[in-house]
Amino acid sequence: MDGTSLRHRPGATASPCVRKPILANSALLLLFQKTLEIYSVEVNGNKAMENVDKGGGKEKYRGLKNNCPERGKNHPKEELNTELDLDDHKLSSKELEKKYSTNIVTGLSSTQAAERLAKDGPNILTPPKKTSEVIKFLKQMMGGFSILLWIGAILCWIAFGIQYSKDPSTSFDNLYLGAVLVLVVILTGIFAYYQEAKSTNIMASFSKMIPQQALVIRDSEKKTIPAEQLVVGDIVEIKGGDRIPADIRLLSAQGCKVDNSSLTGESEPQSRCCEFTHDSPLETKNIGFYSTTCLEGTATGMVINTGDRTIIGQIASLASGVGNEKTPIAIEIEHFVHIVAGVAVTIGVIFFIIAVSMKYRVLDSIIFLVGIIVANVPEGLLATVTVTLSLTAKRMAKKNCLVKNLEAVETLGSTSIICSDKTGTLTQNRMTVAHLWFDNQIFTADTSEDHSNQVFDQSSGTWASLSKIITLCNRAEFKPGQESVPIMKKVVVGDASETALLKFSEVILGDVMEIRKRNRKVAEIPFNSTNKFQLSIHETEDPNDQRFLLVMKGAPERILEKCSTIMINGQEQPLDRNTTEAFHTAYMELGGLGERVLGFCHRYLPADEFPETYSFDVENMNFPTSNLCFVGLMSMIDPPRSTVPDAVTKCRSAGIKVIMVTGDHPITAKAIAKSVGIISANSETVEDIAKRLHIAVEQVNKRDAKAAVVTGMELKDMSPEQLDDLLTNYSEIVFARTSPQQKLIIVEGCQRQDAVVAVTGDGVNDSPALKKADIGIAMGIAGSDAAKNAADMVLLDDNFASIVTGVEEGRLIFDNLKKTIAYTLTKNTAELCPFLIYIMAGLPLPIGTITTLFIDLGTDIIPSIALAYEKAESDIMNRKPRHKKKDRLVNQQLVTYSYLHIGLMQALGGFVVYFTVYAQEGFRPTTLLNLRVKWEDDTMNDLEDSYGQEWTRYQRRYLEWTGYTAFFVAIMVQQIADLIIRKTRRNSVLQQGLFRVCTGSHVPLSCSRPQYWFVAVPHAILIWVYDEMRKLLIRRYPGTWWDKNMYS
Amino acid sequence: DDQDEVNQNYLADEEEEAEEEAQAVSEYLWDPEKRMSLARTGQSWSLILVLYFFFYASLAAVITLCMYTLFLTISPYLPTFTERVKPPGVMIRPFAHSLNFNFNVSEPDTWQHYVISLNGFLQGYNDSLQEEMNVDCPPGQYFIQDGDEDEDKKACQFKRSFLKNCSGLEDPTFGYSTGQPCILLKMNRIVGFRPELGDPVTVSCKVQRGDENNIRSIKYYPESASFDLRYYPYYGKLTHVNYTSPLVAMHFTDVVKNQAVPVQCQLKGKGIINDVINDRFVGRVIFTLNIET
Repeated sequence: MDGTSLRHRPGATASPCVRKPILANSALLLLFQKTLEIYSVEVNGNKAMENVDKGGGKEKYRGLKNNCPERGKNHPKEELNTELDLDDHKLSSKELEKKYSTNIVTGLSSTQAAERLAKDGPNILTPPKKTSEVIKFLKQMMGGFSILLWIGAILCWIAFGIQYSKDPSTSFDNLYLGAVLVLVVILTGIFAYYQEAKSTNIMASFSKMIPQQALVIRDSEKKTIPAEQLVVGDIVEIKGGDRIPADIRLLSAQGCKVDNSSLTGESEPQSRCCEFTHDSPLETKNIGFYSTTCLEGTATGMVINTGDRTIIGQIASLASGVGNEKTPIAIEIEHFVHIVAGVAVTIGVIFFIIAVSMKYRVLDSIIFLVGIIVANVPEGLLATVTVTLSLTAKRMAKKNCLVKNLEAVETLGSTSIICSDKTGTLTQNRMTVAHLWFDNQIFTADTSEDHSNQVFDQSSGTWASLSKIITLCNRAEFKPGQESVPIMKKVVVGDASETALLKFSEVILGDVMEIRKRNRKVAEIPFNSTNKFQLSIHETEDPNDQRFLLVMKGAPERILEKCSTIMINGQEQPLDRNTTEAFHTAYMELGGLGERVLGFCHRYLPADEFPETYSFDVENMNFPTSNLCFVGLMSMIDPPRSTVPDAVTKCRSAGIKVIMVTGDHPITAKAIAKSVGIISANSETVEDIAKRLHIAVEQVNKRDAKAAVVTGMELKDMSPEQLDDLLTNYSEIVFARTSPQQKLIIVEGCQRQDAVVAVTGDGVNDSPALKKADIGIAMGIAGSDAAKNAADMVLLDDNFASIVTGVEEGRLIFDNLKKTIAYTLTKNTAELCPFLIYIMAGLPLPIGTITTLFIDLGTDIIPSIALAYEKAESDIMNRKPRHKKKDRLVNQQLVTYSYLHIGLMQALGGFVVYFTVYAQEGFRPTTLLNLRVKWEDDTMNDLEDSYGQEWTRYQRRYLEWTGYTAFFVAIMVQQIADLIIRKTRRNSVLQQGLFRVCTGSHVPLSCSRPQYWFVAVPHAILIWVYDEMRKLLIRRYPGTWWDKNMYS
Repeated sequence: DDQDEVNQNYLADEEEEAEEEAQAVSEYLWDPEKRMSLARTGQSWSLILVLYFFFYASLAAVITLCMYTLFLTISPYLPTFTERVKPPGVMIRPFAHSLNFNFNVSEPDTWQHYVISLNGFLQGYNDSLQEEMNVDCPPGQYFIQDGDEDEDKKACQFKRSFLKNCSGLEDPTFGYSTGQPCILLKMNRIVGFRPELGDPVTVSCKVQRGDENNIRSIKYYPESASFDLRYYPYYGKLTHVNYTSPLVAMHFTDVVKNQAVPVQCQLKGKGIINDVINDRFVGRVIFTLNIET
């Protein structure tokens, strides 16, 4: 995660102590005692520390275990309850050698290693079990919708079987219909499979292909081998910058620090040595964990666990134990299928009974039943929904949201809580100079992504000195060969704070390397944790000045101790009480912002005492390191990305709660939360209120506080009810110092509130939470493969703002899918009614199966996909996220309005055209009634019409087809009206703009007289007018009965 | 054991869920607390019923209006278009939902129904009836009656006696008793249809498949084997009330016995189409004769 140290931050000092002997802390504690009461959160930090000290430091470990027995069956983390039976940290080197039958000096022999490799397998995490491609493909064809079509197809074939067994010369319509349905399912399946495979491919290109190497001692020789060939008992050497290749027990270490953030979420570097310091293997300093990084120093260690048996391996395997939640859209579509199936079966059964009681034969009635059920199946919708989702997925990919699972497109839109990481997602993931203090004044530096706008006063002599110190007392360097890269993007060798200072000075002063060359370094003491300062001595660039310049930076209190003067406006002044006070105030203020503060001082060494030839000895320090001149303070922070505050505001107005979950210190977390707006400017935590009112935290009425900063320690002691309480009662929550395992608890807590939870994560250990979340979002750049595998979506730019774009797209697609479904469902009535009338009134069939199919899969596909492109109705990001259980994709209003209002109007329009055609050709409506049997009699070749003309069977059939076409045209014309009215759900179509969609949506058909096209036009207009009236009333009288019942 | 406990918990939960669901359903049907049924209060229900009543009432009004307009634009006397019913189809009598004439001369039961069918069909052609109802118009020319379309039109006589041996007057069995069956051929009525260029449409029959000599002779009545021009044009059922479709009787006087003989009778004439593949009744009719002795 953060990978940087928090060495010098006063507010934060308390917490790193957690992992330090008490003695080392007390000195620091004493130093800051007087300021503690001001910083309430800090008080917390101390409490936390006390807890830890009492609890024997088992906390972190318990955090990992997370076992809450009372939560019973749903708890996915049972496996973690098994104690880690690791006691290697307690053993001596000799015992270890014996246990793993190895030799610390000579290492394993190659043969031994080969044997163990064969026995234990390679040292890699077993990738999550890949679903076989065939099964993935089959799954695509077995989703909610596809099932409906499969059943439809089977029913068709059953009906055909019945017809065929009765009369082999029967029409093959049902056979074809079944085949087409199956074809639709298969083609859509292939399409969806292809879409998802494509995003999987993009993902695959992310995974790092360079195999990791490890330096190992085998056969008494140092060898570099691929890390996956490591076996238990191997002696490995690691150095700063390496990823630790397996779980190792350290045997020797020099200044070794590791970043355990990927395991514990703790972003502070932790020192490592070879002593056994703690009972818990996670706390003790002599164990290094697989996948963590060694930041600095060197160490030698013995491999004690490899592959899946490592701690991280055990966590990663948890992810597979966490069930995948069904996506909201899958649930919605299931709901929709239930509705359609319900309607179909109900109508089918009703008309089956009617048909039987009308003395139709039972077999015929069964065929009618099947026909009605199949007619209700929206054949085109599966394809439309799939295409729509993948179009949106494509659009989102362009905006850096890569969607792995098509259905996740919509999930993002219904998100009501986002649990976001801090580092990298909300912040830029690099230390940056945020504030400077000199001349008794705090200056603010520009922390935006390009640093371009530094406005503080640079004319003071103090700044000249300060800038010299930050330039010279700095070991960080740009990697060569980056001349054309913008400064902020250049790669730097050095730690995070030095990098920040280097870039800062490079931006302001220009070529830092050149300045350093002009001021040659003669001696240097690098930073170490005992001194807590860094010092270097330089020749000056002024050839007339023979003095050496001693520059120093470090923990501000340490630096101040060494100073006797302070520089104000370029002049040295004695350091009196007032200035010390001012220093402390500034230091505390900056620390309170969650920033890491460094102090800077210098001294010109007198030329007579230190001539040009003087030889500086850094071991014996033959030069003064006291009575220096204090110059200033600079504070650094990992600043928020500039787009984030905006995005958070958008989330807020969109009713989405943003919860920050970080492993960082509460103060830093709170400061960042405040600066990005997760904690809004005017809301207070319980601690803030206590501070303001000067009362104890316990006395504060908890309901007064809107915001809460909760640490992992506190979270661990909470019961699920307390967590629920916390999540419902506070609108602004920051979880700090949480272990990634606690993320899972937080996610589950949110889901208990019926929230749709989006979770961001990057580490291996995030994968359970990513999987548990309704939508897991992995980071494309910083994310581990395991996280990307568990996630439904990958943020290609790791930027929180991209999530908000995704939310917008997701909501839009939900709205537009509603429109698409409403559009598609409407004509169902128009297609079904003819069949019902055909059964009931004995009319010649007004529209045939194949023609219906042609509408569903032909002319209507493009318009319904076009609806997916419909732009938002302005208020999309200003309304609350939809309620998972109340705001359904397809609700009763939508169904009734589609089926019983517009659908019925369409059916009537169709019948008017139908009757017109038949009447003009000779069959007036009265003649048509109950004509069905004679009409369909193949031997009847002189059927008389209303004018006494006689028709052969084929002539009648041809007329029937003309009727189909006319009905088809009528539906099409009215579907244009339907398309227009569905463009908006609330606004008038005239407000939305009319002609964006309708182009190219319908194709004409021969076999119909052109005038029939116009018969349905009045009905289309009628539909439009009716719908505009409905929407007008909805807009005029929001919240009324009409709005509730007619808004679909 | 833990697993068992988990399972039991799970089962217990499921039971609870089922109970809750039943509760929810019954509450959905009737919620006594809020006095709601199907999630609607009485007021909401009445509003929705009123809404649908008015909505459907207006829809009914709309469709009534549409149908009324439709009837206004369509003449009850003449169809608007006649292309779909042209060219004329052909049908034969006797007709018993089958085009296979299968009978045994010596067993009257096998052909009696043909005779009954023909007799019934020819009742309307009885000479006395025709003379009473219809006029004897000049043959060889169209019987054109100008005047308004709603004026009653006169119809030309087609007397049963025109059919001679097939009229059933001399031979009440229409030849079936002697194995020389009569089959009447009727051209479908089409309003306004007139054979082109003043040439009457004629009928000719032959063996459709197989040995042409299976039918050694056919007699046609009227002898011209044609539909006289005076029966055209037809003015529609409403005004041309007594219109009598002209017939051509085919008397199969010498057909091979004890063998199915497929016969095709075609109309011939200008503007007559008799070879449409999809429609086997336009301008032609195919049937089989299987006369057993």
